[in-house]
Amino acid sequence: MKRNENKEGIKGMANPTRYGIERFAYWLMRITGLGLLAYLIGHVYETSNIVNGKTAWENMLSMTQTTEGHIFLTLVIGMCVFHTANGIRVMLGHGGYGVGKPARPDYPYTPASQNKMHKLCIYASIGLAALAMMYGVSVLLGE
Amino acid sequence: MRESTIMKIHYGTALAAVVLVAVHVLFRITMMNYEDSLAYESVIANYKYVPYAIMLELILVLLSVHGFNGLRVILLELKQGRSYEKAVTYGCIAGMVGLVAFGSRTILMASMGMT
Repeated sequence: MKRNENKEGIKGMANPTRYGIERFAYWLMRITGLGLLAYLIGHVYETSNIVNGKTAWENMLSMTQTTEGHIFLTLVIGMCVFHTANGIRVMLGHGGYGVGKPARPDYPYTPASQNKMHKLCIYASIGLAALAMMYGVSVLLGE
Repeated sequence: MRESTIMKIHYGTALAAVVLVAVHVLFRITMMNYEDSLAYESVIANYKYVPYAIMLELILVLLSVHGFNGLRVILLELKQGRSYEKAVTYGCIAGMVGLVAFGSRTILMASMGMT
């Protein structure tokens, strides 16, 4: 077998299916992380316009404070809340919290770490992100 | 640096950033309405308030370290190899330093009134 035969690369990483909600959370964590890094870079560039004076700042605001801009910001809010909530779950898991006690592996070899509590936390993270997006819509587009 | 130490830094920067970003967002929506908080005079006043400017700088550093280390982790999951890993690590450090330098320039210039 060639060294690269069993490697799917980006295609494999971009596929959120096959391994349940944990795999979907892994995928969403990476997508939201990349999205938030892109937003951070854009936000730092966007706010740098303040040093060019009032006109430059207002020109920039006229480009970003639009309905499309607010929809994008709502997505950023959702990404941020999911990434935070799921990140706390991952941190606790890495610290050994909520992953079950070590035991003899018996059939059907269900991993103790992929338990109901972690699944519930993933669904809760998605729910929290949805709620935050609804609040974001009410603040940004409500007037 | 050991990977376990890097992950501790990754988690530490995440927790600190969550708190500071929450304060940053609350500043935008509780002090006045969202639209008014983006007015030029209001934003300049924020930058000239030294504790707030320091908080912005901290957010910038924390998120840059966390964000670029996250990108490094994703890229290292995709492919491994000595030269590739070195290129990714140094590339991410360069990106992080560049973003912190560019953001710090804005914070410094705006807080010192060089607009």
